[in-house]
Amino acid sequence: MQKDDVNTIKFAAIICLVCSMALAGVQGTLRNKQETNKRIDVQVNILKALNPSFDPEGNELSDEDRENYFLNGNVPREWIPLYFENFVETQEVTLADGSESKLYELKREEALVSVAFPAEGKGLWSTVHSYVGLESDLATIRGITFFDHGETPGLGGECSKPWFQRNFQGKKLWDNGAPVKLEIAKGTADPVTDYNVDGMSGATITGNGIEKFVNATFNLYNESLFDERRTGEES
Amino acid sequence: MPQLNSIVTDPLSDNNPITVQMLGICSALAVTAQLNTALTMSVAVTAVLVCSNTIISLLRNVIPGKIRMIVQMVVIASLVIIVDQVLKAYAFEVSKSMSVFVGLIITNCIVMGRAEAFAMGNPPKDAALDGLGNGLGYSAVLLIVAFIRELLGAGSVFGLNVLPESYPGNGLMVIAPGAFVIIGLLIWLQRTITKKYEEA
Repeated sequence: MQKDDVNTIKFAAIICLVCSMALAGVQGTLRNKQETNKRIDVQVNILKALNPSFDPEGNELSDEDRENYFLNGNVPREWIPLYFENFVETQEVTLADGSESKLYELKREEALVSVAFPAEGKGLWSTVHSYVGLESDLATIRGITFFDHGETPGLGGECSKPWFQRNFQGKKLWDNGAPVKLEIAKGTADPVTDYNVDGMSGATITGNGIEKFVNATFNLYNESLFDERRTGEES
Repeated sequence: MPQLNSIVTDPLSDNNPITVQMLGICSALAVTAQLNTALTMSVAVTAVLVCSNTIISLLRNVIPGKIRMIVQMVVIASLVIIVDQVLKAYAFEVSKSMSVFVGLIITNCIVMGRAEAFAMGNPPKDAALDGLGNGLGYSAVLLIVAFIRELLGAGSVFGLNVLPESYPGNGLMVIAPGAFVIIGLLIWLQRTITKKYEEA
């Protein structure tokens, strides 16, 4: 009986050791590749929010190409570093609640084309990460992206699909000198206004979460940065 | 001694893990809203099944009886984490859309069930084939369910629209209850064909 127990413990120890070494080995080998994937994914999402209308050489893009690159996310890999070197300016900003964050500005010949800021919040199961891109008026959504989440594929997971993100383009977060609440409808938005988008069927809670954090983060950026900029431009 | 051929072909229909053994229903509901995720899930589960069955079968004579289940679990969990890591490195897009469900292969009853029911009592070669057969049987059901759900729910096949734009999409098919209905119908259909019934 005693000998049995010792053998059992020995076996358990060996199995644990072998499995953890195998996992550590795999993780170590693949880490670089995974981190590269993640970094590129974040950059693609920033570009999706900024939604450039030109290629890195400065040529205008057709609507079709633009949709394919910056809505569907198929931006050519080799363009990504070019955009970030030549057109995207990353600023470290401190927000009104004291937190550190970032603001990305897309500039073309010194003129501001669009800005993007990170936003995140809870969906149903997980934290949904997002970048919200605004036109240079700091009011109209130019591009938006939701990614790196653990929502149910086919339901809340649809938030990372082009059809859902397309609805946001042209919607307003700021109108007539005041913030407006963007609403994600339950089902289809009816009637369609400048302030609502179609929801995802079967994923009301994910939609509510997104609605909440997009509005809240915009308001925070508004208070911290955008208000000042708008008045700055007018005076 | 079962015929090698029948080890692979039995689970495809007569002894299908989902429709006959009633295992792995959970993931069959979760990832079948779209064919793409269903296909990745099928490949991942089949790979895990073949490997776990082989490893467990190799170890079957040295695993102490008392901690048998725990050892199986450790082996399966390790394999699933490896699959998840490989997907994150080489199929990043797909792994994003699968989110938590790759990790949940660990709790897929088919993997544990085949380890306990078959691999513990059979040599590695048979066990590997049994894993392959059950993996393919699982895949077949997943792909059939996903095909029907994606077609009726979103009007597309593998993400390509095949039904006219005017097709409104059937909301029931998009959410989990749609999968219940289809799997139920599949089970009915299959038992009618194979004439195998549970004794009431």
